[in-house]
Amino acid sequence: MAEKLIGTDIAPPDLHAKITGRAKYAEDFRAPGMVFAKLLLSPMPHARVRDIDASRALAMPGVIDILTADEVPSREGPREAALTNHPRYEGEPILAVAAVDEETAAAAIEAIRVDFEPLPFAIDPLESLRPGSPNAYVEGNQYGQEGWSEYKWTAADFAAIDRGEFPDPECPVEWSKGDVEAAFAESELILEETIVHQSLTHHPMEPRTNMAYWENDRLYAFVSTQSTQATKFALAGALEMDPEDITFVSEYCGGGFGSKISGTTIMQVPALFSRKIGRPVMLRITRYEENYIGRARPGFQSWLRMGFLGNGKCNAIDLIIVQESGPYGASDFNTAGMIADLTYTPGNMRFRGVPVYTNTPPKAAQRGPGGAQIISMMEPILEKAARELGIDRYEIHMLNAPGPDVAFGPRGTTLTSVHAREALELGAEMFDWEAKSALSGQRNGTKVTGIGIGLSPYTAGSRDRDGMMVIRPDGKLYVHQGIGNLGTHSIADTARPAAELLGLSWDDVVIVWGDTSKGLPRSTVQAGSQTTHAHTRANHAAGMDALRKVREVAAATLGGSAAAYRVDNGRVSGPGGSMTFGQVAQRAIAMGGEYDGHVLPEDIHEQTVPAAQMLVGQGLLGIARDNYGGEGSIYSWVAGFAVVELDVETGAVELKEYLGVTDCGTVLHPRSLGAQVLGGSIQGMGMAMTQRWVFDPKWGVPFANRLYTARPPGMLDVPANLRWGSVGIADPQTPVGAKGIGEPPVGAGAAALTCAVADAMGGKCLCRTPLTPDIILAELEGRPLPFGRLDQHVG
Amino acid sequence: MQRLWRSAENPWGQEVLIGVSWDLMWAAVIGAALFLVGHAIWIKTRPAEEHAAPATVPPGIPEKIERHSLASRVFHWTMSVSMLALLVTAFGPVMGWQFPWVQIHWMAGVLLIATVVYHVIHAVGWQDFWSMFKVDVGEGRAHLKHVLSSKAPPPPKAGKYPFDHRLYHHAIVVVTLAAIVTGVLMMVRIDTPFWTRNPYLLGDAAWGVMYVVHGLSGVALILLVAAHIYFAVRPEKRWLTWSMIRGWIDRDDYLEHFDPEKWKVGGSSGASVESGGGRSGALADAAVSAPRED
Amino acid sequence: MAKIRDMIPAFELLQPTSVEAALDLMDEHREEGWVLAGGLDSFDWFKDRIKRPSAVIDLGGIEELKGIREVANGVEIGAMTSLTAIERDERIRSRFSIVADAAHHVATPQIRNQGTIGGNVSQDTRCWYYRSGWPCYRAGGNTCYAAAPQAMNREHCIMGRSRCVAVNPSDTAPALIAVDAKMIVENSGGPRVFDAEDFFIGPSIDITRMTVMGPRDLLTRIQIPATWADADFYYEKVRDRGSWDFQLVSVAAAFRKSGNTIQEARIAVNGVAPYPVRLEAVERRIVGSTGDEATAQAAGEIAIRGAQALRHNDYKIPMMRNLVRRAVRSVA
Ligand SMILES: Cc1cc2nc3c(=O)[nH]c(=O)nc-3n(C[C@H](O)[C@H](O)[C@H](O)COP(=O)(O)OP(=O)(O)OC[C@H]3O[C@@H](n4cnc5c(N)ncnc54)[C@H](O)[C@@H]3O)c2cc1C
Repeated sequence: MAEKLIGTDIAPPDLHAKITGRAKYAEDFRAPGMVFAKLLLSPMPHARVRDIDASRALAMPGVIDILTADEVPSREGPREAALTNHPRYEGEPILAVAAVDEETAAAAIEAIRVDFEPLPFAIDPLESLRPGSPNAYVEGNQYGQEGWSEYKWTAADFAAIDRGEFPDPECPVEWSKGDVEAAFAESELILEETIVHQSLTHHPMEPRTNMAYWENDRLYAFVSTQSTQATKFALAGALEMDPEDITFVSEYCGGGFGSKISGTTIMQVPALFSRKIGRPVMLRITRYEENYIGRARPGFQSWLRMGFLGNGKCNAIDLIIVQESGPYGASDFNTAGMIADLTYTPGNMRFRGVPVYTNTPPKAAQRGPGGAQIISMMEPILEKAARELGIDRYEIHMLNAPGPDVAFGPRGTTLTSVHAREALELGAEMFDWEAKSALSGQRNGTKVTGIGIGLSPYTAGSRDRDGMMVIRPDGKLYVHQGIGNLGTHSIADTARPAAELLGLSWDDVVIVWGDTSKGLPRSTVQAGSQTTHAHTRANHAAGMDALRKVREVAAATLGGSAAAYRVDNGRVSGPGGSMTFGQVAQRAIAMGGEYDGHVLPEDIHEQTVPAAQMLVGQGLLGIARDNYGGEGSIYSWVAGFAVVELDVETGAVELKEYLGVTDCGTVLHPRSLGAQVLGGSIQGMGMAMTQRWVFDPKWGVPFANRLYTARPPGMLDVPANLRWGSVGIADPQTPVGAKGIGEPPVGAGAAALTCAVADAMGGKCLCRTPLTPDIILAELEGRPLPFGRLDQHVG
Repeated sequence: MQRLWRSAENPWGQEVLIGVSWDLMWAAVIGAALFLVGHAIWIKTRPAEEHAAPATVPPGIPEKIERHSLASRVFHWTMSVSMLALLVTAFGPVMGWQFPWVQIHWMAGVLLIATVVYHVIHAVGWQDFWSMFKVDVGEGRAHLKHVLSSKAPPPPKAGKYPFDHRLYHHAIVVVTLAAIVTGVLMMVRIDTPFWTRNPYLLGDAAWGVMYVVHGLSGVALILLVAAHIYFAVRPEKRWLTWSMIRGWIDRDDYLEHFDPEKWKVGGSSGASVESGGGRSGALADAAVSAPRED
Repeated sequence: MAKIRDMIPAFELLQPTSVEAALDLMDEHREEGWVLAGGLDSFDWFKDRIKRPSAVIDLGGIEELKGIREVANGVEIGAMTSLTAIERDERIRSRFSIVADAAHHVATPQIRNQGTIGGNVSQDTRCWYYRSGWPCYRAGGNTCYAAAPQAMNREHCIMGRSRCVAVNPSDTAPALIAVDAKMIVENSGGPRVFDAEDFFIGPSIDITRMTVMGPRDLLTRIQIPATWADADFYYEKVRDRGSWDFQLVSVAAAFRKSGNTIQEARIAVNGVAPYPVRLEAVERRIVGSTGDEATAQAAGEIAIRGAQALRHNDYKIPMMRNLVRRAVRSVA
């Protein structure tokens, strides 16, 4: 019997290369004649370039050429170009210089004089809704079908806001369900809060360095991206070229957290520069540059009203979100509205949202986009309701968490499976909620214990992708993965269903990834926690195809009916005898047709076809589209449980204990799942507690643009014995039962801490992040906060 | 070429002025030293001036003639203290003498402003304010000729405030007012009890001009104050310096240096000592005084 | 000039092997030279191309500057001794544990392995306006951006400001003041000895420097006299996260007791002023007491006398007060 692969710990195939340093990231590639480029960044948050004088730079020995905004594709509306003469945030790339070495390129950049005309700018989104305040664009602050317009709230709206009231502004995005006003009238308790969630950069370990060169008309791109196949197509789109003229290499990626889903903007620079000068161009992005061009999570300024029945059931939500969209937009706020409805199942909800363009670095999805923000801010309010209604906090989470019949959002979205309550239950048991909750508020010297729970959902899958694999004459299964390798192990783990179906031991499986010249099928972007779900399905489908073909080849070779053949340990055996997979592969090549890929299935995606054609005749080809179908969205859940100690004399918070329990379907790879649940939770803790981004309002530029000033959490910010668990209930709509896990832990970690801190403060919710000692101490000492309740980018 | 000002890049990478070059300070110090030495030598080369005292002493001229009232003297010395404090606190640290200078500097500045305000009110309200700003070209020409050639006839005697004193006064008014106006604005940028500091009250370019003007006036004051002190200690001017301490000059000096018609004291004119010079004397013989040209 | 960050421009690297040779090189290069110890502050400046010395004088090869020695009256720490070595040294741990404790609170193990005590006390402030290369007072300009009405100055000072509102970032500095350490500063004119508390200077004295040392001065040794050996010590640092973070406020205190009564005390706080602040008024107040709660309360209040918040750092006032209280309470 072949080994069981699903649910076991197997080291990923890239492990050795990574820990020995052999793994080549984009910056490790070299090509003959390669030159280095450096960027000139805008010093102003909003400006127009009046003049560029590069004469001194171009005269420097070793300087090769300059690439300006006029030489890269530009697009209408609030859309980003790789270089611009109209920068809309401090740090936006204006031009690039190439030189024989990086130091020369840097010196050349310093020698270029750019005459910028400063323009009015908007940093705080809410402020820029005030009548008369500056807009992020000269043309306005809203872009629609008719182009640009100016969108402001009224003076009366702001009068209400300034009085601290719940405003009633008109918003471009609005939906509601049920009868919100009537429901509030029935509520026993109505809580009203203002919420500020900060904007935060992604800070992946590897900045988005990339290198490119051309041979004849073929582009060779060595990049840092989360996805592979999807990014190649995005890059082709950006450069307006045939995707099949690109050889795209991204075998390793040092993290992205959503900032490099494709990340093609900056990839255009070396590609176009290299075409211009006829030499390979390496653009190494520094940590400093990454801070600007590396994307950020949008911040929220928000008003929330939550109604509760006497038993603790939330029966109405009224939520307004002002989103900081950066210069090029984001859609977190929409997701936030959906997730609020999903997590608290109020039945009656009104959602209003305003995305506001700002002159802050561009936004992008960041692990749990929208969900993490809203969950970390709403969970403490739910717990506050429990406190006020005299209900156990665990019970109020249980009571409000959705069951299988949930239908949320404006269109009544349903889910394939939901085991949020089971996650809470298992968590409460592992955590020993009863005993722990008794510690709440206990004082030990100057330290007060706080306990909190955070329940966080997020989308966790998609459908309809293609799987592709070859059994070669060496008897091994080569699984071709178009998804990216950003350290989550999904390139390997999603191949397990196919290997299991084919009865192969893991040693006989080779993962092919990260280089499109090897032939990679159409895949999801490596984002939105999709890959585990989407590609266990796609590989399952392709594995089934391979299995069918193996049996048919065996039957054709050895006799008997295909259905009577069984696979195990790299052999196929049946009534006519047995043969190795190597022999099967050889036979398949001989048989041709669909067996070795000469004939491809009709329904595979057109992007997969050229990749499959590369594999024709190399062995037995398993190839299929995921036609398993399904109904409803795919969501995973994490329930986080935290114990903190708050020092009331310093405002410092120490996390003493954390447990994350997930519902993400069948567990594929326990160790990797644990790393995701805890790693994501820690990321969320950083978001809630320490990490920050601060802007100087006068100059419109960010600080905290160094890792040490941005303060992402470090290993000493969490105890050594973090724990995790999984309810492990298979999703019934997917053959493997596995759902994704990347996103939901972030909200859980963040919310468990915001709740625990509020608990340690006797139920007082500060309703903003980060919860640093300064604002906690100010609250405990009864001193005024130095900024307005709704101020963004402070701290 | 050595720049006369210092500039820096503001946070947006735009070049902005931040002050005068400290080389100017050294230039002023050296210039002042050269002037003093030069003048001392020059004086040595000139034949001694002969001032024949009038044979007869007009009646009614007292032996001691009040030149500066007590109030004037107090003001003069207050002002000198503040001015010296300002210069030392401004340039000492640049020259390498490290001490907490900012507070002393602005406090001395506030004192200076108080004295100037007093002086201006006094001059406008109680003195013939505009006479100070009369420029008599003929008088100037005579002085110039005399300076250029010792053979030229001595210029006519002055009233209470001689020609060179008035010239000096003009210079000091301009420079001090420039320093004061810019200095007051600059105080907006530091901690004082008067207001919350705000470096953004003006734009970078405007601040740059403030700093340069303040610096230039500071440097000019090095020269002016050095010259002033130098003349105050010169032997032939000591009688004047004494008057700023004692308040009076003696009759001989009066008759020797002044035209009794222009500076009337004593009986004949009917003006008493008090009404003549005393009250008008204001602050200083030179520093910032508006003499009364009766 | 367009901004380039994270790239060190070329410089001449000089590697003397004796203090004498180092001093000669410093005389030769003066303002153009830069003394390099562990480089954790230096390289930050270099890679941001804000400080561009033409010659870097690396002290790494000077053996006489390394190591911890017992001397007649206490211990002597060479300026180039790593923070890790100090943290681990048995003599320091047993007799002057506060110094080891303070060194242990610096950043991360990697930084402590590389960072030296000389560099740690000589390091420049971390004010992010200044560190961004803005033309502030400390950088020779005429503006303090951090004290502007809307500025982001959460980590800036609440006392001792004079135009500049930055704080001293060193964790070891207050501990060295608490044990009355002597800083031996040499230049070609010979050595001078400063009390630790006088070694650090504020912007009112020289806005461009953090210590008494000018460009030709070298800190060679730090002596900890036996006076405070085996005293009762208290050290605490509050920071935003558990590692790799400068202090918000830190306190270092040494107490000599006779019976239950405090006979002598030295208390210093950092993170509240442009220099570590010794709290002599607090020391006077607590001497003769037992560190009881009433004394602790009073000590806290005395400590924050005259403290004045900027827009975002009011919290430092209660934080400083509470830390001083805790230090005093620790005696009881
Ligand atoms: C991310 C990060 C976090 C940090 N966190 C902390 C922290 O929490 N607490 C803390 O205290 N420190 C912290 N530091 C500072 C660090 O610990 C070092 O102590 C400090 O940067 C200087 O030590 P160094 O040996 O690296 O000196 P260098 O960087 O080489 O030198 C620092 C300065 O001192 C001068 N200098 C060095 N030695 C001498 C000498 N013998 N005589 C005269 N001048 C000298 C140099 O010219 C330079 O100006 C942090 C640093 C970093 C990069």
